[in-house]
Amino acid sequence: MTKISLGATAKEPVSKNWEIGNLSISPPSSILGNTDNTKMPIKNVLNHKGDFLSLLKEANYPLQIGLPSETSHHADVEIAHSTTVVAVRYRDGVMIAGDRRATAGTSVIYDRAEKVLQIDPHSVLAISGSPAIAYEIARMLEHSFQYFRRSQLQELSLEGKLRMLSRLIRDNLAMALQGIGGVIPIFALYDREAPEEENGGKIYFYDALGAHFENVNFATTGSGSIWIRGVLRYLSRFGDTPLQDMDERQAIITILRLLDTASEYDAATSGYNARAQIFPTIKTVTRSGVETISDENLAECYAEAQPEADAV
Amino acid sequence: MRDEPYRWIEAIQDRRDYIEDQLRVGSPVVGLTYNEGMVLLTIGRGQRKIFEVHDRIGLSAIGHPADIERLRMLVTDTASVQGFQNATEDVNLHRLTNFVLAHTFKQAFESIVGEAYIIKMLLAELGGSSEQNRFTGINYDGNVRTNADFSVIGGTEAIETGMQNYLAASPVDADRDLTAALRLGLEAWAIGSELSSREPEDTESEDTQIDTEQMHEIINIAREDGEIEAGVLEATQRGTGKFRLLSKQEIESALP
Repeated sequence: MTKISLGATAKEPVSKNWEIGNLSISPPSSILGNTDNTKMPIKNVLNHKGDFLSLLKEANYPLQIGLPSETSHHADVEIAHSTTVVAVRYRDGVMIAGDRRATAGTSVIYDRAEKVLQIDPHSVLAISGSPAIAYEIARMLEHSFQYFRRSQLQELSLEGKLRMLSRLIRDNLAMALQGIGGVIPIFALYDREAPEEENGGKIYFYDALGAHFENVNFATTGSGSIWIRGVLRYLSRFGDTPLQDMDERQAIITILRLLDTASEYDAATSGYNARAQIFPTIKTVTRSGVETISDENLAECYAEAQPEADAV
Repeated sequence: MRDEPYRWIEAIQDRRDYIEDQLRVGSPVVGLTYNEGMVLLTIGRGQRKIFEVHDRIGLSAIGHPADIERLRMLVTDTASVQGFQNATEDVNLHRLTNFVLAHTFKQAFESIVGEAYIIKMLLAELGGSSEQNRFTGINYDGNVRTNADFSVIGGTEAIETGMQNYLAASPVDADRDLTAALRLGLEAWAIGSELSSREPEDTESEDTQIDTEQMHEIINIAREDGEIEAGVLEATQRGTGKFRLLSKQEIESALP
């Protein structure tokens, strides 16, 4: 079976995931999607909790992909999570970026993949892992937030948003344990409740079971992340301008350099493609909302980030 | 009772009288197009009356709050599921009103042993171009009517006619901006409010003409214990969702 993955399949044993206490998870013997196609009477579709997932369930939308139970008992299941995505907290909020490569095995399948996805006006999801599941999770999140607002007449709270993503990741556990559908995202939001003078940008890192942890200054995931995590820590602690004090331009340049470094050592991460003019995706999440850094701006910053860009 | 046609018709008529009596004092809603989209507006008395259904669809209603909420959820749920299963562009007002809502309204109204919905609903859909903008009104008995430039809902047909006549008589202006639309909408609302405050038999009279000064007085009185509420579907808005409620300041600054 050929499986497309965002980046080459750098594998990481499931046991490396976050573990708290003696929590152990064994995969259910059979997880079958709802295949009952009987049409629900429209009145039963009414739900009052603003929960989009239960609404979809009532409408018989298959929320989980069914797989034969025999395959779910691999002794050493591994989660493929490749790519490089990185988020840093800078002066105005959070900057979040990803490379553009999608691979299947050792083949590059696509060089314009979007791995940094806007979910609502103040949140962005950066994905690593199986794109099929990741895009579905992003779409589900987007629709869930909208549905909550429309039905409950108020925005879903920051905590509510974090939990919704936890739940989607946890529901996907069976796929993650098969080693084919794992998704490890970074979720960046701007907390509009934060006082004016404070930076309300927040970065959350998730594990494969859906636990979320706030990363104060930076987060990175994907196969290329191992090459830059130490650099991020160094910059944040000892940099001339610490990450959190950088202005937008400084942050863009830093991120471009980080992704360049990751692409140098990780085959799953693409750098800047000068011939085809393909840049990494960089978005900012600030008090005024989500913005995408334009290609022109990136080209300019790239020249500065890499004085000898022609030699690349 | 279906064996006795006369009693069935009589029961339906009783129902109609009962519902119309309940609806008569409802605060009317006006829907208008303007150069950048569509606006729904009313003066509410505490309860929110203008809602977002989907990316390009807004809703307002008069009637019993419990019925409004139930039917609002029905249409929101249906649109959300459709929008997710296909794409948000595939959600379409015609399907929602004619297939989902009209049927539900009609069934409740005509099953005379069950509860009827005390409701009149007005939905707005922002089209791809201004020619495709649509207002759809649904009556408690499931009747649907669609208008392009403006639409109103009021407690009785006479109230609606009075408001519609005023809007139809006002000069047509394709470049009308939001401020002008809000002002015109409030004037139409004042006419509806004035008509609904009269005794039912007086509403039928020809004398629905009130001057601008009276209109402003009615609006000012209504604002003492109520609040102007307006929601817009803005073609100029970034992103797929086009609906937003206007802020107090925006409404305030539009007033003459």
